Amino acid sequence: MASFHGSKINPDRFHRSQLKFYFILIPMAVLMMLPIVYIFSHALKPIDELFAYPPRFFVQKPTLQNFQDLVNNSNATGVPMSRYLFNSIVVTIIVVFFTVVFSAMAGYALSKKQFKLKKTIFEINTLALMFVPAAVTIPRYLLIDEVGLLNTFFAHIFPLLAMPVGLFLVKQFIDQIPDELIEAALIDGATDFQIFRKIIIPLVKPAIATISILAFQAVWNNAETSTLFVDDENLKTFAFFMSTLAVDAGSGNTVAGQGMAAAASLIMFVPNLIIFIFMQSKVMNTMAHSGIK
Amino acid sequence: MKQLSLKNKKSLVGYSFIFPWIIGFLIFTAFPLVYSLFLSFQQVKLTPNGIVTTYVKFENYIYAFTVDIQYTQVLLRFLRELVISTPIIIVFSLIIALLLNQPIRWRTFFRMVFFLPVIIASGPVIMDLMEQDVTSIPSIEEYAIFDAVLSNTEGLFHTILTYLMENLVIILWYSGVQILMFLAALQKTDRQVYKAAKIDGASNWECFWKVTLPTLFPMIIVNLIYTIVTYSIFALNPVVEHIQSQMFEISTGFGYASALSWIYFLVITLVLVIGVGVLILGNKKYR
Repeated sequence: MASFHGSKINPDRFHRSQLKFYFILIPMAVLMMLPIVYIFSHALKPIDELFAYPPRFFVQKPTLQNFQDLVNNSNATGVPMSRYLFNSIVVTIIVVFFTVVFSAMAGYALSKKQFKLKKTIFEINTLALMFVPAAVTIPRYLLIDEVGLLNTFFAHIFPLLAMPVGLFLVKQFIDQIPDELIEAALIDGATDFQIFRKIIIPLVKPAIATISILAFQAVWNNAETSTLFVDDENLKTFAFFMSTLAVDAGSGNTVAGQGMAAAASLIMFVPNLIIFIFMQSKVMNTMAHSGIK
Repeated sequence: MKQLSLKNKKSLVGYSFIFPWIIGFLIFTAFPLVYSLFLSFQQVKLTPNGIVTTYVKFENYIYAFTVDIQYTQVLLRFLRELVISTPIIIVFSLIIALLLNQPIRWRTFFRMVFFLPVIIASGPVIMDLMEQDVTSIPSIEEYAIFDAVLSNTEGLFHTILTYLMENLVIILWYSGVQILMFLAALQKTDRQVYKAAKIDGASNWECFWKVTLPTLFPMIIVNLIYTIVTYSIFALNPVVEHIQSQMFEISTGFGYASALSWIYFLVITLVLVIGVGVLILGNKKYR
């Protein structure tokens, strides 16, 4: 646990004066963890427990039956599961990377650069945040059709690249970086790109980690583009594959589907959790350094 | 070639940094938005030959307020929930952020746990959980104390209380990013200010109101915006669900759904402007 010591945000010893904080934090923390426990326990439930009323929180007779069903069912469909998985991974990597780069660059410009329309652009962005995503489905479809992206790999990628939430968060974080730091770098002869790479990026790592988690989630769980923009079975994503399982498993047999749906949602969730655990150390560690005295 | 002035040069750099983002935003976010505004004034029919639209003026909007009984109801209920939940989410995340900023053992672990909502609330996980009804504290109404509290309160307070009981967990799960933003701001505040205040004889309580809160003020506004936005466009929100269900309804169609979402959009904008306005005015008086 070297990284924990590096950041020095944990006191070394437990002290009685800390008790009052635990008194509040621990119950809250338990509450926060519950859904995760629930997801795992739900996926392991046999059929009779899935439909038990009142629903039980913990599984009583854990079974892997749901996962077995899932695997057997996957073999029955034409396209191998690995193909969906591959598509998802490629799309996810590309989108997360470019979303972070674009948002950080735009956030830097909007926060520290002077140019016309700067305020307007940010306000438009904030407004765009508020629009119900479902309402733009058809215009978006028409657009993708018009540009000729329908039924291509890029249909998964392009619509997600400019993420308004990402820009919003990054800009707020960059606002907190003191201007003196950038001026100092300028005097030392740094170019704009160097300032961006060597100063801005390291200082807003918490924000970057946050938006990469958000972007990852948006892409990884996105079954919509596969349903709407892509007809070719070979180009659809894992999220789409998972969402179909629960519906048409056993040809309309929703009772059997429930178990598989529970298992599928666990499988979909685990990468989120892994990325989160991986990223959150970056989120929490860098916040300790503020840069200027 | 004409020499660029320093100012122009500088703004050129700014533009070049923001350029890729602008392109993506204009094409894939701004254009569909404008197009949906256009559609909201149209009767949209999906035919085998493509989409046929006929201009109907404000018909869709009038329909929303006069004929569609559900929409206004759902919208009002949503507004009530929003007004109750937003302050709670912000106050809660502020308290948690303050606690997480204290020197306690296992702080990193707690920080991680409280950041978890980020992956829970935006994923498919939450849908699963809501379907199973685990978002409310199970059978809390059965406890005598809540019974007593509920039966002794009336009117508005009663509604607020029952709503809280039913949605407590959900409210907590909305607060991941907010906690993070408050924490970041807290860590950027200068320790020396507190020291100076302490020397002048300020208690912890006074320190909070006179030092911490004013320094956090910009972040409170940011969090207010973020909370309202995430709360409103959340896919399981009743208004959003209503809009989605209208979308493929034959009698009303997509044009109507677009009109509904524009009304919704305007309402949220209004709430946002009022919220931020109240905060800024309140802060001016406070000083």
